[in-house]
Amino acid sequence: MNEKDIKFIGKITAGVTHELNNVLASIREISGLMTDILSITDEKSFPRKEKFQTSLGKIQNQVQRGVKLTSQLNKFSHLTDNYKNDIDLNELLEHLIFLTERFARIKNVALQNQSINQTITINTDPLRLQMALFNCISYLLNQTVIGGEISISPEKKGKECLVSITYKGEGINKLSIFKDSTSSDELLSLKSTMENLNGVYELDASNTAVIIKIQSNK
Amino acid sequence: MDDIRVLIVDDEEDLAKTIAERLEIRGIHTQTASDGDKALNLIKSQPPDVVVLDLMMPGIGGLGILKQINLLENKIPVILLTGYGSRERSIEGMNLGAFDYVLKPCNLDDLIIKIQEAIKIK
Repeated sequence: MNEKDIKFIGKITAGVTHELNNVLASIREISGLMTDILSITDEKSFPRKEKFQTSLGKIQNQVQRGVKLTSQLNKFSHLTDNYKNDIDLNELLEHLIFLTERFARIKNVALQNQSINQTITINTDPLRLQMALFNCISYLLNQTVIGGEISISPEKKGKECLVSITYKGEGINKLSIFKDSTSSDELLSLKSTMENLNGVYELDASNTAVIIKIQSNK
Repeated sequence: MDDIRVLIVDDEEDLAKTIAERLEIRGIHTQTASDGDKALNLIKSQPPDVVVLDLMMPGIGGLGILKQINLLENKIPVILLTGYGSRERSIEGMNLGAFDYVLKPCNLDDLIIKIQEAIKIK
């Protein structure tokens, strides 16, 4: 897929999430209006009023959930806006965790963002960086039988940025974790993505970790 | 709040009318418009105290309407309704003199507070 194809997908997704947000805003206001009307309606003239109020509250909660999801998807679609951009690594990791939480939950794995207080800015391709990090997490999840924790730790060393994606738990066999790594789809994809980012990745079997290294250009 | 008049401009008519109804329940008089022409006609014929204006609209768009409002003799405070990907437009709107902005879907209580604040500085 070339840059134009990626931008096309990004633009369409951004447009649709914008419309979805309008749908959610309308549902929120309509259910809000129903709540308003109920609150000024006499209990006697409206049987099961409380049940309706509870249900409207549930609609509002689901709308909030939908808003958060569409907001993150919209943010993701805008990763395609610029081929290279100044990005806040901590912010990008937070976004990544939100987007990958569902995949981890299926394996009963918790994702932990170990971001530090220091701001780390990198000038790079944000979409490909997300893709590289996603491949690291995905690889570890595929190796996991079930349960455990994956922590994501950023670090800046001079002009280089490192992100360590480390598995902790009993769900992975440390001895065999990287045994078939050369044929793994995720690591093959990671290799080519890191080449595009002018970076590298390393496998650390003793710590059950995948580490990516990239120049910050900042 | 009986004497406050607010114009809500949004091409999402259901949304504009529902926000209007909710404000009416709270004693705020409202009007709605779904495009720039209707909005500007209402502003000229029955000037509101505050305009709540969606940024992303067909035609001249929210910023176009804001520029037209700025040309009027009587200044009317404008609160922008912004969605995703409208950050740059929101900043441009604020630079053009909008009073404030709220993110869609907005919290009605927050919107009312901003409407009241806008009237105070009018």
